[in-house]
Amino acid sequence: MTRKFDPPHQMKATEVNVNLEKVSLSINKQIILDNLSLQLSSLHSILMTGQNGSGKSTFLKIISGLLKPDTFRLSKSDTNKSWSASRKYLRKHFCYLHQTPYLFSGSVHDNIAYGLKQQGLSRYEIDHKVNEALKIIALQNLSKRDSRTLSGGERQRVAIARSWVTSPSFILLDEPFTNMDKHSRHNCYDVINQLIEYNTGIILTSHDPQNGELSFNRHLHLFQGTINEKDL
Amino acid sequence: MNDLVTASSQAIQLLIYGDPEIWEIILISFSVSLRAIVITAPVAIIIAFCLSYYNFIGRRILIALFNTAMSIPAVVVGLTLYLLLSRAGPMGDLKLLFTQEAMIMGQILLCFPLLVALSHASLQAADRRAWETAITLGAHPFKAFFTVLKEAQFGLIAAIIAGFGRIIAEVGSSMMVGGNILNYTRNIPTAIALETSKGTYAQGIALGFVLLLLALTLNLFVSYIQGKGEVLS
Repeated sequence: MTRKFDPPHQMKATEVNVNLEKVSLSINKQIILDNLSLQLSSLHSILMTGQNGSGKSTFLKIISGLLKPDTFRLSKSDTNKSWSASRKYLRKHFCYLHQTPYLFSGSVHDNIAYGLKQQGLSRYEIDHKVNEALKIIALQNLSKRDSRTLSGGERQRVAIARSWVTSPSFILLDEPFTNMDKHSRHNCYDVINQLIEYNTGIILTSHDPQNGELSFNRHLHLFQGTINEKDL
Repeated sequence: MNDLVTASSQAIQLLIYGDPEIWEIILISFSVSLRAIVITAPVAIIIAFCLSYYNFIGRRILIALFNTAMSIPAVVVGLTLYLLLSRAGPMGDLKLLFTQEAMIMGQILLCFPLLVALSHASLQAADRRAWETAITLGAHPFKAFFTVLKEAQFGLIAAIIAGFGRIIAEVGSSMMVGGNILNYTRNIPTAIALETSKGTYAQGIALGFVLLLLALTLNLFVSYIQGKGEVLS
């Protein structure tokens, strides 16, 4: 099955709202997430802060459907839905990026095309979307390069582009700037700001409050298993 | 020493001039072992994947059992299978004893735990983020499974080659359940055992050369594959 292709520069995603209820997880009797409730909109760009081990990555993995929580509900009316049904919904709308992104063996083009192939797009559509994405991350010249020879900053940008081309409602960035130099960091800021411009919901975790480079409009702080709204 | 040199030169002549009996034995060896590995590898890899990526009750015990079964002697497998397939045994009605199918069954039992254990080690060592990345990019778990296999291909190929290496050279099981019948169930190891007991060393040495050559080829191939993986990573 193929989809109608819309060039990314024309794409302004429609708003998707997700209500998370009663998100709890304990590991070895230690509470990691304690009955969290949260409303998310794909028009939000959220900075999530918290100390090491506060459960930021765990939270992102749960809402992207990669990790099963102890309790979870998508909305107040969602009393009968099983985790597998919720997981399917979450995997459709949320795309998770590891702190150190994993790139598959093959070229940069192959990596960005991976998710598009899963959607059953034609080769022409895939090539077109990949080229658009490469332009956005300013790595057109590296299309054929073996992905495992890229620098840390380039890997992160390829991973962001790879997620973005699949058009998720939310992209979850797990401490993306770790071990990145200033130049690479600025390149990533540009890419992430473009995602925000295209109405892709962003949740970005960090130890530190933002430094003004990214246009966040919401700040969440995770502390002892609970989430609090904070000023930016 | 002179006997060894004479027998070796006779062996080389047998191989070079294409002694039909020797080549039939080599063909049977490869045919039986290749069929055994082709049947075993997919099942073993799927089980290894489940052991690596799913948590279930008894998982650790299963891993320990597969690791233990790796070192099970071929002759014990042969004896067990012989008792099962012999006329008085529970599978006697199948009339499989002293057939190539019985040899394949023995070789499957021998390489299965080895393949599971080595594939499991390879998948455990592979990066778990590959699975999560494939899933989060919208891959169906079935497709994500193949993505993970592709990412761990170097270790998995080495596991399959190690399994093949074990069964192509095993004598205990093939001798007991195959019966060493000329042009039917006589393979390289059983032929070497027979020729040595008869004192006709030339044919035994010729077949030994083939096994050594095979071992060398497989090792070179594994080195090449592993080297390729290192360079790329």
